[in-house]
Amino acid sequence: MNRAFLIIAGLILWALPAGCGPDPAEEKPAAPPAESAPTAPAAAHGSRAHPVTAQTRQTYQFYCAQCHGTEGHGNGINAPYLTVPPRDHTKADYLETRSDEYLFTAIQKGGLAVGRAPCMPSWEYTLDKDTIHSLVSYIRELCRCEAL
Amino acid sequence: MNNPKHFFLTGVFLVIAVTGSAGAMAAPALVKEKQCDTCHRFASGPAEKEQYGPDLFFAGDKFQKKWLENFLQHPEAIRPAGHTRDPGFLKGQRRTEPHPVLNSQETRQMTDYLMSLKTLKESPPLNLPALSKGARVRVKILFERDYSCIACHQSYNLAGLPRGGVSGPSLLDAGNRLRPEWVYQWLKNPKAFATQGRMPLYRFDEETLKQLTQYIMSHTKDDPGQ
Repeated sequence: MNRAFLIIAGLILWALPAGCGPDPAEEKPAAPPAESAPTAPAAAHGSRAHPVTAQTRQTYQFYCAQCHGTEGHGNGINAPYLTVPPRDHTKADYLETRSDEYLFTAIQKGGLAVGRAPCMPSWEYTLDKDTIHSLVSYIRELCRCEAL
Repeated sequence: MNNPKHFFLTGVFLVIAVTGSAGAMAAPALVKEKQCDTCHRFASGPAEKEQYGPDLFFAGDKFQKKWLENFLQHPEAIRPAGHTRDPGFLKGQRRTEPHPVLNSQETRQMTDYLMSLKTLKESPPLNLPALSKGARVRVKILFERDYSCIACHQSYNLAGLPRGGVSGPSLLDAGNRLRPEWVYQWLKNPKAFATQGRMPLYRFDEETLKQLTQYIMSHTKDDPGQ
């Protein structure tokens, strides 16, 4: 392959937020909103409009566990091969800085839609909205946290 | 996921499954002899518990005859993490029993049979031209960034080295292994072949469908860095 072409193509891919490439926001999680206050995490799960069901857990295992791992630790079978590690859904310190709407959009529209890694695909045409809402509830259960 | 569209698509799948296999040859005794149906499904419908190999009831739509002939004599793993029905799939503990190796006579017989197994009623040739280098880079961005395919499928980086996830089938030799018509149909409507797969569903426009098909078909071990 032509060396000059390789260099140019490489620059193009580097300049764009290329597939699963380094995520510039990765090291700088957004600060929680100033007006928010910590909430009691576990208590809220049962009262969610879209509770976690057996179907939710099954859906997570079927689709999400490939990258996020069967227990949500971000260590799925694809994880070693991705430049940006899949999110660890058991880590509250990051997930409590994200709203439920943010998590919903990340699942529905994919990582790029929320300014994160493009390795996370859009599940918009695979999972209906109720299922995605229940997955958000399940992530809250895994991290034992709520949005601050 | 109680969506009316799923019922419709399931209906379409069933119609295709029932009507599409009319030209299939009778299974040769070799299928039983080599116990192929222990791991592979040769008809649509619910999978047996132990069938951890890829479905073959649309093998004639999916595979290139030459690749199939070579594979049956020199099998290699296509799914680095094993098939999604393998109980060890998500644990990184794929089944590791070697695939049976066929001799040349068995290979001819088996290939003829497998190539007769089709689901698509019609599969007109696509005749897509090869992508230019510039176009290939543009579609590579679609493949890796916009549609996140690289998270689950092995592809090539710009230096021609393997890169990507392992939960989906490797695409490193897709251009020799798969028929472009099948790739196109799979990307368009995977439910025509599998009622439920772990790959996200997309709604590609016609041009994107063709470009992604061309891109996937450009992956060959003979020329990984093209």
